[in-house]
Amino acid sequence: MVSHGGLLMLLATLTAALFAASLAVGYAPLDLGAATGDAFRGEETVQALVFVELRLPRAILGLLVGFTLGLAGAVMQGFLRNPLAEPGVVGVSGGAAFGAVLVFYSGLAALSPLILPAGGILAALLVGALLFAVAGRGMSTTTLILAGVAINSLAGALISLTLNLAPNPYAAMEIMFWLMGSLADRSFSHVWVALGPMVVGWVMLLSTARALDALSLGEATARTLGFDLRRVRAMVVGGVALSVGAATAVAGVIGFVGLIVPHLVRPLVGHRPGRLLIASGLSGASLTLAADVAVRLIPTRPELQLGVVTAIIGAPFLFSLVWRYRRVER
Amino acid sequence: MTRRAPTRAAIYGVTVLAALATGAGAPRTASAEPPSRVVSLNLCADELLLRLARPEQIASVTFLSRDPKQSTVADLARDHPVNYGRAEDVLRFDPDLVVAGRYTTRTTVDFLRRNGETLLELDAPATLPQVEEQIRRLGEALGEPDRAQALADEIAAAFAEGDPIDDVARPTAVVFAPNGFTVGAGSLVDTIINAAGLRNLGAEQDLGSYRHLPLERLLALAPDVLILAATESAPARAYEVLHHPILSRLPSQPVIVRLSPRLWTCAGPEIARALSILRGAAAEARERET
Repeated sequence: MVSHGGLLMLLATLTAALFAASLAVGYAPLDLGAATGDAFRGEETVQALVFVELRLPRAILGLLVGFTLGLAGAVMQGFLRNPLAEPGVVGVSGGAAFGAVLVFYSGLAALSPLILPAGGILAALLVGALLFAVAGRGMSTTTLILAGVAINSLAGALISLTLNLAPNPYAAMEIMFWLMGSLADRSFSHVWVALGPMVVGWVMLLSTARALDALSLGEATARTLGFDLRRVRAMVVGGVALSVGAATAVAGVIGFVGLIVPHLVRPLVGHRPGRLLIASGLSGASLTLAADVAVRLIPTRPELQLGVVTAIIGAPFLFSLVWRYRRVER
Repeated sequence: MTRRAPTRAAIYGVTVLAALATGAGAPRTASAEPPSRVVSLNLCADELLLRLARPEQIASVTFLSRDPKQSTVADLARDHPVNYGRAEDVLRFDPDLVVAGRYTTRTTVDFLRRNGETLLELDAPATLPQVEEQIRRLGEALGEPDRAQALADEIAAAFAEGDPIDDVARPTAVVFAPNGFTVGAGSLVDTIINAAGLRNLGAEQDLGSYRHLPLERLLALAPDVLILAATESAPARAYEVLHHPILSRLPSQPVIVRLSPRLWTCAGPEIARALSILRGAAAEARERET
């Protein structure tokens, strides 16, 4: 068994490799060496522009969004002590998408670039607060999933309604983006608006690491160890809302990353929820970057939505988890 | 809508009975009398109908024709009742001629054909002769051949203007539309681009049937003229790609021309305006070259 530091190094290397792969894959041949050379010399050649303005923001967003989803999934599973908790499954991502849709298509988002992530964050906060209030006194896996089904259905319906009511004929065709996510044609402006809230959200989520370790021994034990659980819950809800809300506002709903990744990494960290966080974030980034490379290699034009790939991997995974826990609960 | 449903249903019933009585299924033969209750089911048909027919001949045009963002005849359309392309909409007006597009409202058109209505289907012409022929055809059907001929001549005259340009001197152009789509060969837009003295790079690329042009490929094409074809009204993500910061920093420094797609979506007189805008862009691109 590798040490925790060794594991993180390994996952960071994997993420870096997939980040490089994301930079290397695209729609026009690109000599990465020449492109970076031109970019560093400040020459605005086609190569340099494709690299700096198209490939780089896309890869960075893949990294940020993936890290967010992996981390948020690990924290939610740890805090709720529920193996199926994840921003997508419980409806936080769907709610965030609806918030972003509202501010974008009403024209509010045109007033300031910060309004779009704000819409996503606010809606994610509402859903998160609602969910965690219900989950306060312990929530069975089934109840959580059912609540998620209800919130997701409502969010999906409201997104469809809003986009069909929107006066622009293109709006209705954009339901796919919001429900299935994509990183196509994103620019650095998307990176900048989402980066701040995501990083603040990460800090909040990472600060819960020790409390999550204590919580694995039960709520009472965690309290006697001196953890203020209301404060921890506020950090979890706020951190998830900030990071997932901002991520969803620029990339749409990308499901299942936060579900799969913690389960894959958990055995490698000795089942300690606190140690799972960074490892899970890095793995989430790896999975998202890999999926984003895949959508560019699969020959559909315009390219496949990113959430389609993560759902194809994630939904069977969810099913296997449900199957496993169904046996346990009996 | 719901409130009026019974009335409409009644009218529908009456019309069907009337059709049965006069021998449903057999198309009414063209009489010497020009039609007096014409219904249009397609925006491009609206645009020609409103220009060619006498106002009192027009029973209804589509709701799209009143939207100035999409339609070039929003003013003319204001005085006529609108329809939403449904069969009931049409029967309500008891038309003696229905003008439809070949690719839109198919269910309605099939129903009307079975019901024995007189139908004229307009195509999406790709060449100037086809555009002229279609205008004349509609003019004949409306009993306004002279007006149609005049309109066709006007468009042909606009295309005949300008000096012939040899292929070497043609600046290259690419159309970039919402969601990153472009326009290829065999389309009216391609005809207009060529007539403006430009070389359409979108026609030379293998972009599959959807003609989606990723930004990376657009950069590699390095066009002399970049045609951004969008009328941006209410917000949509579809336009975001047209605002990507990279477009203002293209190394080929193309002449960027913004063109409202309503000018060239339909084969009507507005294509002459699109043509003259593109001729201006072509001239500017040639000037930059020298």
